[in-house]
Amino acid sequence: MKEPIMKQLLFDFFDGKTTSMQRKLVEEWLADENNQDTYYKYLDEWETAHPQFEPDAESALQHFQANLAGVTSSTAQPEADNVEHNAILIPFLNLSKWKWAAAACFLIASCFVFKKQILYRSLESVIGKTASYQLSEGTRVVLNSNSTLLVPRFGFGSGSREVFLDGEAEFKVTHTPHNDRFIVHIGENYEIEVLGTEFVAFSRARGKRVFLKNGKVKLKLPEGKQLYMKPGNLFVSDKTGAFNLTKEADPRPYTAWKDQTFYFDNTLLSQVALQIHEQFNVNVRIPDTLLANRRIAGTYKATQADDLLQILSELMQIEITQKEDYIELSTPKIP
Amino acid sequence: MSTFSYRNPHEDLPVPAQEKLLDDTLVTDDEFLLRKEFGTNPEKGCELLFRRYYVNLCNHAVRFVHSKEVAEDIVSEIFTVFWQNQTFLHVTTSYRAYLYKSVRHRAYNYLKFQMKFSHSPEDQTKCSDSLNPDEALQFTELHQKIEHIIRELPPQCRRAYILKRVEGKKYHEIAEELKISSKAVEALVSRALIRLRKELSSHWTLLLLLFLY
Repeated sequence: MKEPIMKQLLFDFFDGKTTSMQRKLVEEWLADENNQDTYYKYLDEWETAHPQFEPDAESALQHFQANLAGVTSSTAQPEADNVEHNAILIPFLNLSKWKWAAAACFLIASCFVFKKQILYRSLESVIGKTASYQLSEGTRVVLNSNSTLLVPRFGFGSGSREVFLDGEAEFKVTHTPHNDRFIVHIGENYEIEVLGTEFVAFSRARGKRVFLKNGKVKLKLPEGKQLYMKPGNLFVSDKTGAFNLTKEADPRPYTAWKDQTFYFDNTLLSQVALQIHEQFNVNVRIPDTLLANRRIAGTYKATQADDLLQILSELMQIEITQKEDYIELSTPKIP
Repeated sequence: MSTFSYRNPHEDLPVPAQEKLLDDTLVTDDEFLLRKEFGTNPEKGCELLFRRYYVNLCNHAVRFVHSKEVAEDIVSEIFTVFWQNQTFLHVTTSYRAYLYKSVRHRAYNYLKFQMKFSHSPEDQTKCSDSLNPDEALQFTELHQKIEHIIRELPPQCRRAYILKRVEGKKYHEIAEELKISSKAVEALVSRALIRLRKELSSHWTLLLLLFLY
């Protein structure tokens, strides 16, 4: 292929405008090793023509010059492999001390950046299923569908045991011989602190909820507020941070999910739709406000969104339509 | 326009002579001067190389990593290693090709790490033309794919992602700018990352093949 044509073709390719046949041409052209340099030459020209941002080259250069001055040429070491492998497949045993230093710096930097990912691993539940886990110190956790719990990767160590919850879960915390606190973080500035007890925690976009079955917990809220809960107490806070503590709450609405059931007691249909979304990650919309304000009661078993919607449609005589990325509930038109 | 064929006598189509000559001279020229400089004064050579390519390499890296800081770090590190290991003595290709390849590999490694790539069996979608995947093309297609995924994100999600990753802003700053809670910003950014991870996973399988041998 002639070079000017090739250049245009490559520019088109970098722009993502080539057809699959043209791609094939480029591939064949590249099979000739001599063309590889030309490829990168055009890539460089293309980059000059399509800048993304302006790096601070001057200060970077100063750093680099300091580097140059600091390390005057030492004995040259032949590179072990061809160029590409330099950057990726590091031959670990052949590393020069500078490579080791660079690797160490990189490792430390990445440890710092990815601290949370390294120190914690996530326990997850798939949509439509609960998942049970036993943590290393004996605490039992049942995760509701569509939930994630971050737990320390390398065990809890000494001191407090900390985990992070997104979604809903029931905890049966074991008491340790050293009275170590167990802390569940449910969003920024919300902490549940316990020694040994059973409770259900909920942390999703629309708010937070803690229901205490046994024992005693301390809740830490934003702005340094604290709250002690007794068995049977229910703590609910909404998106805005306003919260409410109920003394004697009925446990059923908060624990029904463990048996993959929904418990409704005079619950608005709009709330039901919200729960389906949280449980199964399925968007349900009710455009008709009259319908959205109808109420429903009872306990329903459902392992997937369709189960519950089926029941609802029969029970309330509503129409269910699958739209592109959501499900719409509506009142059927009387013929 | 004159027929210019002594170089490729078997070609029968006219080639613009002027342009061809110019291009060829350029290739040899800039590399030739640099090579000469490296021969007499490697330190000066490194500096010239840095001045010439630093900005473009950063621009290239940022297409993969979507973070200005990370891009600059990657490129600076490549130059440092290039000097410290005296790689310039052993480069058989042009310096430019070496530098671009290094940027691509480092950016790829960063991305792989950052995306917590896991090799799950359902991701193994095989492409018919992947038997002998061409690295130079694959990398370009990878950053195009990334760009495409980001462009397809819902607007709010994309804004949050760009502000967080590319601009490197804090969650609460983005929250103020977008007038939503910082928790919501976190959720938007993580949704963008999850989408990226999901949609890239088939690409990883292809790219992984490259690095197995």
